[in-house]
Amino acid sequence: MKRLPLAALVAAFFIFLLFFVSVRQAVLLLVGVGMGAALAGARFGFTTGWRQLIEQRDPRGVTGQAMLLALASAAALPLLGQFSELNAALGPPSVSLLVGAFVFGLTMQIADGCGSGTLYKAGLGVPLNAAILPLFALGSFLGSVHLDSWLALGQAAPVSLSAEFGTGAALGLTFAGLAIALVGVRLWVGPGRTWLERRWVWGAIALAVLATLNLVLAGQPWGVVYGFGLWAAKVSVALGLFDPAANAFWSQAGNAQRLTQTVLMDVTTITSIGILAGALWISASQSAADTQPLTLQQWAIGLVAGFVMGYSSRLAFGCNVGAMLSGISTGSLHGWIWVPLAFVGTVLGVRIRRRYGF
Amino acid sequence: MTTTRKLQWAFWSLLAAFLAWDFTVSAPVNLRDEPPLIAAGSGQAVSGGHCSMAK
Repeated sequence: MKRLPLAALVAAFFIFLLFFVSVRQAVLLLVGVGMGAALAGARFGFTTGWRQLIEQRDPRGVTGQAMLLALASAAALPLLGQFSELNAALGPPSVSLLVGAFVFGLTMQIADGCGSGTLYKAGLGVPLNAAILPLFALGSFLGSVHLDSWLALGQAAPVSLSAEFGTGAALGLTFAGLAIALVGVRLWVGPGRTWLERRWVWGAIALAVLATLNLVLAGQPWGVVYGFGLWAAKVSVALGLFDPAANAFWSQAGNAQRLTQTVLMDVTTITSIGILAGALWISASQSAADTQPLTLQQWAIGLVAGFVMGYSSRLAFGCNVGAMLSGISTGSLHGWIWVPLAFVGTVLGVRIRRRYGF
Repeated sequence: MTTTRKLQWAFWSLLAAFLAWDFTVSAPVNLRDEPPLIAAGSGQAVSGGHCSMAK
């Protein structure tokens, strides 16, 4: 599809949201479109950046990600301190988080895309990622259904660095944590490496601005996974396969209410649709060359990985966006626990990926 | 049309069908209960779903 008719369709959807849902959701759609365009235009892949660091000792991707985290934190933490209406992405440190982050990091390498990566690559028309998306949604839903059992294995209350130490100290701790991570990267990659690349830098700046807009407008940080689970939950309820009243997570007032509302009122759904559209807009200017076809075994492994990735994303209280970016940038301890566990999983995932010839 | 383009069309058709079905079967949107455009400084508590939520 050419860019002009595509822009007209997005504009039509924007107007529909404006008149039939809410002005906020309409504007958040545009924020999502910007996110999708930035992710796809800069090829800002969290999964790829980590893989390049491990396999090629190339620090450019993780430098871009560290820059994104620093910029987003510099905006989000003062805003959270200023406006009591805004919520941080606070997940509980728990066995669920440890297991979920490790498995997520592993499977995102096999599936070649985290939450946002799966979205933008599906928008670009990458066959495996497009096929994974519904399975990711199903996995995310089942993860939420089983979440109370996982939490029963052990959990602590969510920890907000801002609440514990104040905004300034939380920001200082966040910058210090990022600096330590980059020192570790420097030790791994050795001297003489190129650290900055234009596309990672502009991608980081654009995504930090858009993530901040998401926080200011919606009152909550950028997230991906919740919306996927909500879609599958609604289908399951409609098919009579699931009784939300009998489930610990979906019987909670807020979740139960969202099951009765259109998904167009859900913040994460709207930004995710925007991301898909933004990526499609980017792909519209490119020739749609077919990607290298996968073998039956690769398809099977990729799809299973996508499903498990969705499941583990709920146990981990978010993906690279919801847990890492939003968690760390809003001062949640769970984001800092998520990163090393997911990275260890990624080290294993990269090897499995290579073993099966992806 | 390449396989990638065909898949894009199939994917978007499925997504559009889901959204249309969902909008039809869900409770009507109460436009009088619309949230403020900008949550920050609105004085209204935010109640959206997020993946970091345990409940």
